[in-house]
This record gives sequence, structure tokens and C-alpha cells, in this order.
Amino acid sequence: MKYSKMELPSRANHLWRYTPWKRIHPSTVETIPNAVPFRWEIDDGGVLTDGMPRVMTDGDIARVFLSELGQTGVSLSTDGTLPVVHIRAVASGHVSVGHLHIDCDKDVTVILHLSGEAEWAGLHITGSVKNNVRVAIGFINELSANSKLLRCEDWTVQRDATIEMASLSIGGFRCKNDLRTRLMAAGGSLTQAISIHGHDQRHVDHHIEIHHDVGHTNSNLHIHAACNDESHSISTGLLTIAKAANQSDASQVFKNLLLSERSRAEAIPELEVLADEVSANHGAASSPVNLEQMHYLMSRGLGADEATALIIEGFMQDGFSALKSKALVDEMRTRLTVHLECELMR
Amino acid sequence: MNEVDAILRIENLHVSVDGTPIIKGLSLTIHKGEIHVIMGRNGAGKSTLASVLMGHPAYEITEGSIYYMGQPLEDLAVFERARAGMFLSFQYPVVIPGVQVGTFLKKSVQSVRDEPIKGRAFRKELNEAMKTLDMDKSVLSRYVNDGFSGGEKKRLEVLQMLMLNPKLALLDETDSGLDIDALRIVAKGINQVAPHAGCLIITHYQRLLDHVKPTYVHVMIDGQILMTGGPDLALELEDKGYDWIDAVPEA
Repeated sequence: MKYSKMELPSRANHLWRYTPWKRIHPSTVETIPNAVPFRWEIDDGGVLTDGMPRVMTDGDIARVFLSELGQTGVSLSTDGTLPVVHIRAVASGHVSVGHLHIDCDKDVTVILHLSGEAEWAGLHITGSVKNNVRVAIGFINELSANSKLLRCEDWTVQRDATIEMASLSIGGFRCKNDLRTRLMAAGGSLTQAISIHGHDQRHVDHHIEIHHDVGHTNSNLHIHAACNDESHSISTGLLTIAKAANQSDASQVFKNLLLSERSRAEAIPELEVLADEVSANHGAASSPVNLEQMHYLMSRGLGADEATALIIEGFMQDGFSALKSKALVDEMRTRLTVHLECELMR
Repeated sequence: MNEVDAILRIENLHVSVDGTPIIKGLSLTIHKGEIHVIMGRNGAGKSTLASVLMGHPAYEITEGSIYYMGQPLEDLAVFERARAGMFLSFQYPVVIPGVQVGTFLKKSVQSVRDEPIKGRAFRKELNEAMKTLDMDKSVLSRYVNDGFSGGEKKRLEVLQMLMLNPKLALLDETDSGLDIDALRIVAKGINQVAPHAGCLIITHYQRLLDHVKPTYVHVMIDGQILMTGGPDLALELEDKGYDWIDAVPEA
């Protein structure tokens, strides 16, 4: 379907309730503006090949929009010589867009850094993890403080394949992330960890869909959002377990740390479980800084600001604790530490 | 010994929590090199005393005074107490998710010493302290108290004490939940700090005192110290319990 023929999504729709389409569209909603393609850079050990973007629109307005906005994309291939492949995507101009496709047929860790001064950046990542492959994918949003981001991801996970995904959201002022993974064969496993730092007036919306199409599949979702100033974090999860997907195991944990009276955080897990023999659980918690933790740290000589900073850092680092890939965790934690050292000591 | 030289001087202390009086007129003086042990029933106010000394915000001093190194303690914020040399080994050490022990120790030592610490010298010092407490280096990459057993938590408290080298060490049931070997190791840490500091040990059990020789043993009942004696008093309490003290005139 063409974007021009699509109806604007209603705010009654779970997906668009907190960040309506018109708030994330780069201009007026009827238009498809001209877009500057991302500038892509990659380390040795990986190759990016130009090509047409993969069409995986799923009838979703954001995906259709991104597909029509950018007519070119890149595909990643790696030779497996480097333990970690870094890709840098730079968004510039008024509107900038990029499509990335990753076919994983061998074990690899990929870290995508998105940066740049674009007023609006759109990114669509598609990927598949082949049978018996272990993949770790990191995404770091380092856009300028004035940027809007629309990011969609669509992943498929095949038999006995494992994907670990980490997101660190520290850039941009209004960000809509719609990340979907489909576990398509037995033995497929997903661990997804997201850490968000809300500050100033950042508005960060994460919608996570995880679909267990078959049985004997596992998923774990951990979202940690630390919100300060007047920032707002929204995390919505849609977990589906198909009727035939017995013996699936899924859990979702949403944690919010509220650091100011005017910061807000919503955590809304949603489960659709059609199979009978499954383990599915979810939990959500929002709280201010724990006073016992503060007292403990201050009793060790840390001032109130230092203690708060350490608790925030720990909270966000802890978001990545469920990941097993040391390389992925190290990359995310290092970048987070650098960000917080700059941000919290402002 | 002169009262002016005291590390800690508590005069007629009254403390309340949410309007409920817990400590009801307690006086105590601790000098350098002295080990004071406080024993008493559950709910006597022992841990309240430790918490109020370290400035926990839930406790309100309603009457009396506390002086640390001759200075009114109320003038010092919690972190200033730590930087001035006070240390509390918590009865229930707090979990700090995502904060690695190594990072936490370095920040803490740096704050208390108020000077940049040199990596190599710090690591050497830390290794020695961990060796004293028979601790594995892998603990440094774990999160503070997260998933620790009771014994591991208490050992980490004593490790912090060794690294911070306090002038006044408050140990709130640091021996609780320890097996015999761990108890001996923790006692070793206490004995290392004790000669250069004043120590206040809160405990329910005499067995710690097989390894740490107290200068005084105090019995605290209903928010007051009702009896003070030497190491033999702990043995007597172990044998006879506390009921007989209620009947004895105030010490």
C-alpha cells in the first residue's frame, strides 16, 4: 500500500497512543519530504553493499513511510575476522533516512552508532538470524539533542539461533522506536535489553513486539528508563505466543527510575498467549531513587550528587545484565559511562 | 583518659522513630584503641544507635548530644561523617544493582581520602586487604551486594572498613550469619583496624569475642545501657540471658 492511500493511525491504537504519527512525522503528515541518505561507515572486517531497501512494511504506516522516503539501502556482510564490527550511520540535513539489512549466517557482534545533526532521522533495520547462529546487535542513539528519530526494526530468528539485542538511547529529543522480532523455529532465542536516559524534555517511545510463532522458543525483554527533568519515557510491549507454540518461555521486565517531579514514565506490557503450556511473565515498576541506597553510598563518603549519579549509572548498566555477550555488554557500558560522565556532571 | 580526647562522646541521648522513643537516655564514651561491645535483646535500640550515629534520616534525636572528635556530630552530613573517619558496617548491607564492587570501592576510597588515588597503589592495597579476608578477586566485577550470600555481604563490609581505615568503626551485627571460618576472618579484619580506632561492636553472640577482645561490654535494654563490664560479662550473658539484669539496680 502507498503511504498517500493510508489512513492516519488513531490514538486509540496501542502503538500510537503516546507518540501520535503527526508528532513523529518530519513535516505535515500528507507529505513525503526529500530525504538525504545516511552516510555509512564500517570497520574493516565488514562490508556494506548498496542496494534497494528490503520491503517489510507489514502494513504499518511508519515502515511504509520509511520505505517510500529512502529508495536505497545497505546490506552488511562480514568475513568473521573481527569479534565486533562497528557501523557508523551519520544523519544530516533536514530529513535523513537509512535502511540497513543484516543477514546473519555466521556468529557476529555488530554495533550500530547513529549520530548526526539531522532535524529528523528515519532508520529501518531488517535482519534474519539463520539456523544455529549466535548474533549480538547493539544500537546506540547518539543523535544531536535537537533531532527527532523514527526507528523501525524487523528481525526473524530461525532454528536454534540466538539473538541478543541491546539499545542505548541517549540522543535525540523525540524518538519513536518500533522493534519487532519473530521467533520462527524451535530453539530460537531472543534477549533484548534497552537502557534509556531521559533528560531535559526528551520524549522516548519504545514499542517492542516479540512473536513466538512456534514452541520451544525463548524471549527476555528488559527495559530500564532513568528519567530526569521533564523527560518522558514510554515502553509498550506486545508479546504474542501462537496457539501451537507450547513450551515457549517469555518474560518482560520494565523498570523506571524517576529522578524529578516532572519526569514521567509509562510501562505497559501486553501479552497475547494462545498456547496452553507456556511460561510467560511480565513486571513493571517505577520508583524514585532509593533512599537506603543513597544513605549507604553517602555513608561511604559520596556526596548526594555523586551517590545519585552512581545509582543512575548502576540502574542503566543493570539494564544490560541479562545479556551474555561480553563484547556487546562492554561496548554498551563503555558508551553509557562516557555519556553519563558528561551528562550528570553538567 | 581525658573526655576531650574521646573519639566519640554520647551524652544522655534520646532518639525517636516516627514519634516512638527508641533510645531513652544513653551515654557512652569511646577512646582510641578501645573496643566497646553492646549486647542486648532484639528491639533494645542497638541498631538504632548505630544508624543514628551514621546519620540515617529516619531517626530523630530528641534530646542529648553526640560529639565526634570533640565536634557536635549533628553539624556533619552523612558523607562528611564518612570523610571525617566514621564507618558503619551495616547489619543489612544494601544492594546497588549495576554498580561493580571495584568501581564502588575506588569511588568510596577516593571520596574519603579526598585525593586522587593512583591505580597501581590502590590495586596493591586492595589485593592485600582482600587477601587478609580470603576474598576472591572476582567479587570486584560483581554488583554491590547483588546476589551475595549473608557471609559475602559481611566480608564486603569489612573489606570496605579496611580500605577506608576509619577512626571510629561501628559494626552492627557483622558477625551474624557467619560460619566459624568466616567469623575468624572477619575478626581478623576488625583486629587490624582496632588498635588505631575506636570500635563499637553490636552483637548477639559471645563467640565473636573469642577472637576480638573487648575493652568494655555494655548491656542495652529498652534504650538504655543498664550494665557495663569487661569481657567476662559477655560470657555471663551467654550463660544467664538478660532477665537477671532487669532486676539489678542501674549500673
